[in-house]
Amino acid sequence: MSSETQAHFTDFKSDKQPTWCPGCGDFGTMNGMMKALANTGNDPDNTFICAGIGCSGKIGTYMHSYALHGVHGRALPVGTGVKLANPELEVMVAGGDGDGYSIGAGHFIHAVRRNVDMTYVVMDNRIYGLTKGQFSPTSREDFETSTSPEGTKQSPVHPLALAMAAGGSFIAQTFSSDAKRHSAIIEEAIEHDGFSLVNTYSPCVTFNDVDTYDFFRDSLVDLEDEDHDPADYDQASEKIMDFDNIYQGVLYQNPDSVGYEKRLGIEEPMNDIPDGAPEGAMDLVREFY
Amino acid sequence: MGARNHDVDLAGAGGDRGRDLAHPLGGRRQTGGEAGDGIDSTGKIFAQALSRAGRHVFTSKDFASRIRGGYTAYKIRTSVDELNSVVDRLDILVALTQRTIDENTDELHEGSVVIFDGERSWDAEVPEEQIELDVPLKSLAEDAGGAIMQNVVALGAACEVANFPIEHLDSALEKRFGDKGQKLVDNNQEAARKGRDYVRENYDHDFGYDLETTDNDYVLLNGDEAIGMGALVGGCRFYAGYPITPATNVMEYLTGRIDRYGGTVIQAEDELSAINMALGAARSGARAMTATSGPGIDLMTETFGLIATTETPLVIADVMRSGPSTGMPTKQEQGDLNATLYGGHGEIPRFVLAPTTIAECFHKTIEAFNLAEKYQTPVYLVSDLAMAVTEQTFSPEEFDMSSVEIDRGNVVTEENMEQYMDEQGRFMPHYDAADGISPRAFPGTGEGAHMTTGLEHDELGRRTEDTDERVQQVDKRNRKVETAQREEEWEYREFGSESAENLVLTWGSNEGAIREAMDELEIDVRFISVPYIFPRPDLTDAVEAAEQTVVVECNATGQFADLIERDTLTRVERINKYNGVRFNADELRELITETFAGESEVTA
Repeated sequence: MSSETQAHFTDFKSDKQPTWCPGCGDFGTMNGMMKALANTGNDPDNTFICAGIGCSGKIGTYMHSYALHGVHGRALPVGTGVKLANPELEVMVAGGDGDGYSIGAGHFIHAVRRNVDMTYVVMDNRIYGLTKGQFSPTSREDFETSTSPEGTKQSPVHPLALAMAAGGSFIAQTFSSDAKRHSAIIEEAIEHDGFSLVNTYSPCVTFNDVDTYDFFRDSLVDLEDEDHDPADYDQASEKIMDFDNIYQGVLYQNPDSVGYEKRLGIEEPMNDIPDGAPEGAMDLVREFY
Repeated sequence: MGARNHDVDLAGAGGDRGRDLAHPLGGRRQTGGEAGDGIDSTGKIFAQALSRAGRHVFTSKDFASRIRGGYTAYKIRTSVDELNSVVDRLDILVALTQRTIDENTDELHEGSVVIFDGERSWDAEVPEEQIELDVPLKSLAEDAGGAIMQNVVALGAACEVANFPIEHLDSALEKRFGDKGQKLVDNNQEAARKGRDYVRENYDHDFGYDLETTDNDYVLLNGDEAIGMGALVGGCRFYAGYPITPATNVMEYLTGRIDRYGGTVIQAEDELSAINMALGAARSGARAMTATSGPGIDLMTETFGLIATTETPLVIADVMRSGPSTGMPTKQEQGDLNATLYGGHGEIPRFVLAPTTIAECFHKTIEAFNLAEKYQTPVYLVSDLAMAVTEQTFSPEEFDMSSVEIDRGNVVTEENMEQYMDEQGRFMPHYDAADGISPRAFPGTGEGAHMTTGLEHDELGRRTEDTDERVQQVDKRNRKVETAQREEEWEYREFGSESAENLVLTWGSNEGAIREAMDELEIDVRFISVPYIFPRPDLTDAVEAAEQTVVVECNATGQFADLIERDTLTRVERINKYNGVRFNADELRELITETFAGESEVTA
């Protein structure tokens, strides 16, 4: 892409046909990501997408950008390395509820508190789809699956609350079929200076007959319709800890957030090095005198 | 353990005996706290003083082999001649507890001096043949400004015993405490003088030592620092790691220094994260690395396969310690050869380098980065605890900066990437090149957008299960290693007499001890030290030419010996040591002699 012309969101689309099931929420999630990237002035050549394993992990294949599809649960560390080594890149990490909140939960907490400037879109369908229908960390306690015939008997993970507790600077939630709101919120996430969590309800039409499009459509409360100030920590905490309702919108944004890479003083891409020892290298040896 | 010989003069020529000074601190190992209290920093000050006086130094940290935990010693060998090994003799011992004496009884000899503080609450029992030197370390330190300086008082006493001018110690104290203010420097220098004067005034004795000084210029560093410096010089700009003994020092060295070159060090939440961060940085185009030890290698192994499959250049240092599991974290072992050579599911192309000396840790790190980038393949840089905890003197010229070359491999730009585009104008990061080496486009390069994945992929980096594409990509990745095998030098290091019928082989850090052992060996040997595990030099001719071959390594099963047998289809003798303590020159001299005399399967 030449930088003179603004990219269209279709520039972020590859010619690979998605193998997601027809009707999968991930189509809408991905479309919103592409639109938000284009609307914020990015193009495929300055964008890096990281993904892990699961249905969500396939996203790098269907999008067009620099991308790495890595091992299960480690997409956030990869994104961290990409961004720190080249702060000029737009880094977006995509994952599912299994990748992010189960096998990768440890990284999630630390990525939140490290606050590297990148956007983390989690396609939360409350089920393991790729392995054909086992419960996930966000599944309800009474959710019956092949590995939980009498329900999970565990409390689900509350990702927004985890993020808040870990010192999150941008905590949002969207619904993949609400295309306009979904992409608008991701745009805000991209523009936020720091780590942005966008937990996106992305229904699995094949294996989850509980957390369906209808369920989310009926139960989502949009913060646009509420008098909510995302910069107000107490208000945000109250909403985030309200497990009886699910919200769409930016629940919390710390207006003073500064990306970790800036706090480290990283200004330039690290890919340019001299073709021999750096100037003054002998000083390094002299330090050992 | 082999029999011990306390009378061997290892430093050799000229009447300047090698002097071995142990300076153990009993009780709990002290880490942190005000500088000057820990045994490591005190020992290092003395090592530095000797180095600055133009003497060679070889130090080791002794974490007690027979009793668990709680004891540490910093041992210093010094000579005007080059030193490459620990030995099992102590000439001067500073003991702050009885245990320090008991732990080292084997190494003390007739005339060894034991410095201790008789005013402390224990009754020192010094064996009869040793010279007792009761010095009130603590009260003298208090006189100089604080009990914390008792170790420095002991250094002053040791200077007097060794007939070593205290002015050299001043310079090392200045370096150690200079940034904390002149007052602290003065106090420490005063403390040292109190120790010296006490011995001078209370013991009218010629201990027979004369540590002459030279004008030679030396620097003093350990293996981890050498790896860190090699990384900086070799263009590493991103380091992510998780602290682990004995690799942490690499990270600590780079912290603060790498920033001067526009890089950064990240302390990750675990090793899984560390290696994935490094992978991300490498995808961004930075020279990136991580360093860890065995348990970390285990955790990183899944991602190691991803790195190789996505053809990402990365350097992973494994500073080995005793395993398996948590094993003996502060003990020496070369147990990870198989893990680094074979670790991971599936078949993973890789390079495995194993520097054989502390200085080589520097050179091999630079080489590792060049190999990683030229061949877009991960490199294991395998070092070990023995090198990590040893400070050794080198001439600064050993680190010749003018000979450093950086080869970034086939990096393309928007201007020259066209040859790597498919007919639809899409960049092919896994282009099936004749030599296996594909182009690399750093993110941000116009028209270069591409993905890659741990799934098998086509030339575009997109998932495939097509049988032909699978075979094409497996072959191309393996072909890179074949290209490297052909085009790079994978030479061994050779010592002794080439025509000798006895061949000694080793890998990694045993080189120095074997070289010293050879100095006074009564039989002729050819010694080959191998710094490359994969690819590695073909030793068939050398093994066939020898009457007998023995492979020396610090592990129980002989992992390198197995490789040699496989490569050469010839049985070899083995000398293995796995009690947690590195080989020393004295025991190796005996073990090698015994082995070639026909006593096979020697276990140290």
